[in-house]
Amino acid sequence: MYLTREEEKLYEGEEGWSYQVAMRILVKLGDLFEADRLISIDSAHISGVSYKTIGDAAIEFLEALSEAGAKTKVTSTANPAGIDYNHLDEMVKQPKIHERQSRIIKLYRNMGIKPILTCTPYYIRKPKEGTHLAWAESSTVIYANSILHSWTNREGGPSALAAALIGKTPNYGVHKSENREADVVIKVEADIKNEAEFGALGIHVGRILNDEIPSFEDLRHPRETQLKHLGASMASTGMISIFYPCTTCPKSSDRLERISVDTDDLKNAFESLSTSSEPPDMIYIGCPHCSFEEMKRIALRLRGRKIRNSVKLWICTSRHIRRRAENYVKMIESAGGKVLSDTCAIVTWLKEIGINVLMTNSAKTAYYAPTMNRVETVFASLDQCIEAACKE
Amino acid sequence: MIELKGRPIMSGLSRGKALVSRKPLSFLGGVDSKTGKIIEKNHDLNGERVTDKILCFPHGHGSTVGSYVLYSLVKKGIGPKAIINEIADPVVVVGAIIAEIPMVDKIDISQIRTGDLIEVDGDKGIVKILARTEHCT
Repeated sequence: MYLTREEEKLYEGEEGWSYQVAMRILVKLGDLFEADRLISIDSAHISGVSYKTIGDAAIEFLEALSEAGAKTKVTSTANPAGIDYNHLDEMVKQPKIHERQSRIIKLYRNMGIKPILTCTPYYIRKPKEGTHLAWAESSTVIYANSILHSWTNREGGPSALAAALIGKTPNYGVHKSENREADVVIKVEADIKNEAEFGALGIHVGRILNDEIPSFEDLRHPRETQLKHLGASMASTGMISIFYPCTTCPKSSDRLERISVDTDDLKNAFESLSTSSEPPDMIYIGCPHCSFEEMKRIALRLRGRKIRNSVKLWICTSRHIRRRAENYVKMIESAGGKVLSDTCAIVTWLKEIGINVLMTNSAKTAYYAPTMNRVETVFASLDQCIEAACKE
Repeated sequence: MIELKGRPIMSGLSRGKALVSRKPLSFLGGVDSKTGKIIEKNHDLNGERVTDKILCFPHGHGSTVGSYVLYSLVKKGIGPKAIINEIADPVVVVGAIIAEIPMVDKIDISQIRTGDLIEVDGDKGIVKILARTEHCT
């Protein structure tokens, strides 16, 4: 891989250990995937923030980097953490966890990463079309490539962090336009209406495609939030990092292989996401983190109603959307729901706060929660979730 | 002595006993970061320690947090001395880089047996089998 004189210096360690490690990561990954050079990025989004997922091992590395003076070169945001420090009454009560989580957030902040802990950084700062990014978090990556038309590979936590410190990423994968062409047309024969059904469609498509790039036919006027759920679930069961919501989108072609998805496929995928039919202890909306529009819909459905005492309703969103949707937050809270930020169901401790059955409209959460959180799941639409949460 | 030529991934020279697996390995959830023991279910090395071994396996799999686990093992002094893969994947590559242990890939690891004394040259991408183990595995 070609390196400029400046990049050579960083690689040789002339600017210190932290930048040398970051450069080694980028160059070796570039070699592995046959990149020709490094390219500048607009921003980085870093995963590996929750103490529940990264544990003590990562803290040691982050401490070493931070002590060696590592600082980000571009706008950098980070994924949700394991704790919402503004809602400690809702969180797991172990002082060790609180201390370690706060140390992780502080270490990232010291390196210049904004303490905006969300998987939807694009609701706060939208990168321009055609700009290169180094984003981790698979739902964020697929949203950037497919909805925002910015370009990013599916980075891991360490490679996104290395890119943030250097301000560059190796030029391979979907940074090259020839690797962004659709491979297959998905003809949707089922009638798909709400986010949950879009999520189930994504679960099915991710399972059958692995890393091919799909272009969808006959998705009628999907809303932005529906596409967000479609992408998040496709990226959970497959290695997909980009899709085209319609076959009239550029880069799609009628010469491609076509795969039909019918009502039965959708029904099977939908049903596979429920492991229980027991009444839930918690109803969870906000994976990926809610948009302003989702906050509004939830609030309007809860207007004048009350959440049952035997169930928790958690809504997760970014701090930024929480502020903007302040009136809707009040409506949700007066119905007895909790609006949390900086965290989400998957990366926090659920079993430990007494949750055994989690009901959600998020296919991604329903897919991961049985293994990541060891809870049973009930997968349903937003309307069904709200009905289940409220008193008769 | 047998010499195998591969691709250099992370620089450094290391010598030790080989621990060879036929199965991919996930460092996150697969290796206990407190003991260095392999705990991945149904893994052919389940129960073995990676400590001070030249760890040979086809490739990694699983979460990118695995890179941090490899770092932590090495910094605690209970990690492997070097890594040999058939085909390197990003999680293990990043792990070897941050842990600063030699790594070589594109090696036919079926040539190496657990217990063999081997030398890994991460700069040249060369693996030398210096002495065969007494017993066959």
